[in-house]
Amino acid sequence: MTEFTSELERLRPQLMRFANLQLKNAAWAEDAVSETLLAALERPQSFAGQSQLKTWLIGILKHKLIDQLRRHSREISTSTEDDQADLDDLLFAADGHWRTEPQDWGDPEHSLRQVEFFKVLEICVEQLPGLQGRLFMMREWLELETDEICKQLDISSTNLWVMLHRARLRLRECLQQSWFSGTQV
Amino acid sequence: MKLMMNCREATNLTLQELDRSLSWRERLGVRMHRLICPPCLKFSRQAQLMRESMGRWKQYSERD
Repeated sequence: MTEFTSELERLRPQLMRFANLQLKNAAWAEDAVSETLLAALERPQSFAGQSQLKTWLIGILKHKLIDQLRRHSREISTSTEDDQADLDDLLFAADGHWRTEPQDWGDPEHSLRQVEFFKVLEICVEQLPGLQGRLFMMREWLELETDEICKQLDISSTNLWVMLHRARLRLRECLQQSWFSGTQV
Repeated sequence: MKLMMNCREATNLTLQELDRSLSWRERLGVRMHRLICPPCLKFSRQAQLMRESMGRWKQYSERD
C-alpha cells in the first residue's frame, strides 16, 4: 500500500461518521464513502498543493452524499419513521403562550469553546428522527438552500418547513437536557 | 398578518428566519414581540446559538 492509500484508509472511519449522520443508512453511507475514496485514488493529482487531506476528502464526500440522497429520494421522502408528535402542542398552551419558558443559555462562547459541547451536539443531531435529521443536515452541514433541498428530494416546501421546524425544536430540547441543564453552564 | 403575534407564532418565524428572509411585516412583528416578551428573546438567542454551533462544529470536525 502506498502512503496515500494508507492515509485514505486512516480517514475512512471519520468519513463514515459524516456519511451516517447525513444519510442515516449504513449501506448508503458505505457506498458514498467508497465512491469518495475511489475518486480520490483515481485523481490523486487533484489533491496536489492542498494541505488538508481530510478537508479535500470531505469536499468530495459531500457531492457523493448528495448523489445518494437524490438516488434514494423516494425512500427518503416517503419514510414513515418520523415521529408525528407535535412539539408545538407540548411547548405552547392553547392561547399560544409558553407552557415552560425557555431558559437563558448564557454566553454562547462559553459553550462553543468546549470540545464536550460538540460531542453532545453531535449526539443530539444523530438522535433526530429519519427525515428530520437528514433535512437538518442537508441545510446546516451541506448548506443547501431550501429550494435546492426540495428539488433534490422532490418534497414540497411546506413539508420541508414543518420538518426543519420540528428538527430544530427537538435539537433544542436535547441540548437543554443534555448540556444546558447540567453543571457545564 | 396581524402585527401583534403570540409566542407560538413568533417562535415559528424565529426558526424560519434561519432558512429564508422574512417579509418586512413579519420581521417587524417578531421584533415587536421580542421587545415585550423576554422568553421569546431567549428563544431567539437559543436559535442563534444552535446555528452558530453547527458552523463551529463543521470547522472543528472537518479539520485534519
